[in-house]
Amino acid sequence: MGMTDAWVLPLLPAAAFVVLALFGPYLPRKGDWLAVLAIGSVFVLTLLIVADFTDALALQGEDFAGVTNSIQWMEVPGYLELNFGVHVDAITIVMLVVVSFVAFMVQVYSLGYMKGDARYGWYYAVISLFVASMLALVLADNFLLLYFSWELVGLCSYLLIGHYSHLRSAAEASKKAFITTRLGDVGLLIAIILLWRETGTMNIQGVIAAAEAGEVGREILTASVVLLFLGAMGKSAQFPFHVWLPDAMEGPTPVSALIHAATMVVAGVYLVARLLPLFELVAGGTELVLAIGLVTTIMSATMGLVMTDIKRVIAYSTLNSLGLMFVALGVGSPAAAMLYLFTHAFFKALLFLGAGSVIHATERQDVSGLGGLFSKMPLTGVTFAIGALSMAGLPFLAGFWAKDEILVALLENKIAFAFVLLTLPLTAMYMMRVFVLTFLGEPKEPEAQEHAHEGPPTMAVPLVLLAVLTLVTGFVVFDQVGRAMGFPGGIGEVIYLYGPHAFEFNVAVTLGSIALVAAGLGGGWYAWVVRPQLPASVMARLQPVHALLVNAYYLDALYQAIIDRVVLAGARVIAWFDRNVVNDTGIDGPAYTTGFAAYLMKFQQTGKLPNYALAMVIGIVALALVAFSLKA
Amino acid sequence: MEAVSQQIPLEHFLVLSAILFSIGVYGVLTRRNAVLILMSVELMLNAASINMVAFAAYASPAAFTGIIFAIFIITIAAAEVGLALAIILRIFRNRGTANVDEVDALKW
Amino acid sequence: MTVAQLIFYVIAALAVAGGLGVVLARNTVYAALFLILALLAVAGVYILLASEFLALVQVLIYAGAVTVLMLFALMLTRVGDLPETMTGAQWPLAAVVSSLLMGLLVTTVATSDWPGDADGTITRIPFEQLGEALFRQWAVPFEIASLVLLIALVGAIVLARDEDDDVEESE
Repeated sequence: MGMTDAWVLPLLPAAAFVVLALFGPYLPRKGDWLAVLAIGSVFVLTLLIVADFTDALALQGEDFAGVTNSIQWMEVPGYLELNFGVHVDAITIVMLVVVSFVAFMVQVYSLGYMKGDARYGWYYAVISLFVASMLALVLADNFLLLYFSWELVGLCSYLLIGHYSHLRSAAEASKKAFITTRLGDVGLLIAIILLWRETGTMNIQGVIAAAEAGEVGREILTASVVLLFLGAMGKSAQFPFHVWLPDAMEGPTPVSALIHAATMVVAGVYLVARLLPLFELVAGGTELVLAIGLVTTIMSATMGLVMTDIKRVIAYSTLNSLGLMFVALGVGSPAAAMLYLFTHAFFKALLFLGAGSVIHATERQDVSGLGGLFSKMPLTGVTFAIGALSMAGLPFLAGFWAKDEILVALLENKIAFAFVLLTLPLTAMYMMRVFVLTFLGEPKEPEAQEHAHEGPPTMAVPLVLLAVLTLVTGFVVFDQVGRAMGFPGGIGEVIYLYGPHAFEFNVAVTLGSIALVAAGLGGGWYAWVVRPQLPASVMARLQPVHALLVNAYYLDALYQAIIDRVVLAGARVIAWFDRNVVNDTGIDGPAYTTGFAAYLMKFQQTGKLPNYALAMVIGIVALALVAFSLKA
Repeated sequence: MEAVSQQIPLEHFLVLSAILFSIGVYGVLTRRNAVLILMSVELMLNAASINMVAFAAYASPAAFTGIIFAIFIITIAAAEVGLALAIILRIFRNRGTANVDEVDALKW
Repeated sequence: MTVAQLIFYVIAALAVAGGLGVVLARNTVYAALFLILALLAVAGVYILLASEFLALVQVLIYAGAVTVLMLFALMLTRVGDLPETMTGAQWPLAAVVSSLLMGLLVTTVATSDWPGDADGTITRIPFEQLGEALFRQWAVPFEIASLVLLIALVGAIVLARDEDDDVEESE
């Protein structure tokens, strides 16, 4: 299994999807074993590909630019040539490991979590399709395949958010997610077409090379970069498209862990990281990424502080992390962004799966109905705490190293650096808050906790595995660790895109960030454990601010107002035009005319033979007369 | 084969044929009774036969194909009359009339 | 005007008169009798064209068999003794169209050049030659024609036969 065989990876879960979708109900256990088997094989094959990759890296060193294996799909000579294929390089490897491992964990976890669900088989079918399309997305060597998979993951996200289709809120949330991301997807499609028109190729590396050679006009390149980023913003839920992600928590919790934390939402980060050379060619390109990332980070950090739904808090923390990744990309450090993406996938999936365990046990997900669960569910409590502390950035956990890398990369940009520092204690505080309110203190609804217990082993094992990874993955930043794992030159070679990169520590920055995180954690502990009345009184004093944050800066209301006033008004005009002009006149009109003409003409058919015979003779005579007149 | 001269120009036979044919057409178009229509058709067939025989006699005496054709026309006419009369009989039995303008089921 | 010409005009007048009788007579049986007249006149035309065999066939088959068959059909399809309109409603238009057709045909005949019309000389075909041509040169068409006749006969019988099932169906 070499890198050129990577095209097999998406096909396995895709085949599982086809089998499950067609024959799922007739298979034992509705075929869940097939989906787990498919993704398990993908994980094993991914490890083989990683081994092949390290070999190639050892052989070629820094010159290794990746392996491409593509076949021609269609060709219009001299005009259009479309190839489908896979491209494996460092960034692909990181994504492959993340997607295959988290997907594997989530599918195993779902065996317990989704047990007894009415649409159990369909859930596994769609999640297989998602894994297939996500793998195709990260493997694609051309924009067309990338766009196909981009839309497919969006479709799967839509289907899975709306999995509990009997809930109106789930249906609304799935629509909202699909339409909001679609706004960005249109931009991506336009950008792809623009770039193809300018460079004549769909190949990603080809487009980058052409742009760097200056073959793309400056205006076109600027427009395409902005539009590309629009697509990334939609998928990665960046401001102002971020509104769909908290609502997407209506889906099953494992789906939130896989799609809305670890994989699909980082597709935007992946896309920008892959195309960062294009952004750097455009004046203001990276600044745009930085600004959007900063706004998202700050907004989500403040909103996470007041949300009471455990999954929503984690969703806002995901927005927070995604914003940080874009900030890193914006200052030109894809290595830091990819490292954060890598570690974030594990601890965020861990947080969601832990939250899933709580929901599974208590059937509640609002912290106002939880509390005191630690004694009942120690394993979940410990693993959740590890995830939360990692998210907060406590030293030596995965999140700490990656965040530190971003801070170091930010040193050049004082303003962004200050804003990110500001969010650190906030993040630490709300992670502490959600942990305290869920696991510590007195049970607020004791009857909910009576039957609370740890989930089955299928749920416990993924939690433990992810917790272990959260504890150790951060250490891959050390070259020694990377070398020990078989990556020549350390892990920096793997998750960096172009040029060598050594991870560096700035003692001042590290100590400062540790202090800020500690302050946040301590503040959280003080506010919710030592003096539990404090938050309420602060809340009461800062009522307007609280309302602003709880209502997510009123952005949803603003969007709704825009939709009601502008979009619906426009839609009414179009509907009137469609009903009256297109339908009644354009379609019914010719139909009625034809019908009426036929009604008039049918009376020519008397059914009497003499009439027909007379018509024939008249025709003959008329023809003869014409012939005569022509002759004369 | 012997040549005879009767001082009747070919056109005379052709004009007679044209008149008989047109009378037959008029009969087909106006008569209501199907048997009478059939009679008018016979008039038209005879007009055509006169044409054939006249051309055979005047224009191609060696081959006399026209006469052979006239024989075939008479044969086919006999077959046609037999079949047509059977059909008319059947229509009469089914619908109680032999008038073609009353048999008008094939309409809107 | 020679005797032959005189005979032609008489015969032609008889043929046209018979034809007009067929299409104009108010009595169906009269119409059939007029048809016999017209067919016999056509037989006379054949004699003038030196085709005695054809004239013979005309008299035997047409004037004899076919017309008798028509008379039988008229008898079988008679609906009581009710006086019926014999002519359809479209007769004026039909008359105009038929006259136009006749005018066109006659004009065509008159304005065209025809071979052998200068002296009106025709060739008499002996019976033997006719028979030989019919059974040698035209043997295959002759056989086909006889087959057609046979099939038409069978078909006519099948169509006209009064089956009990059919009666039930029509009721």
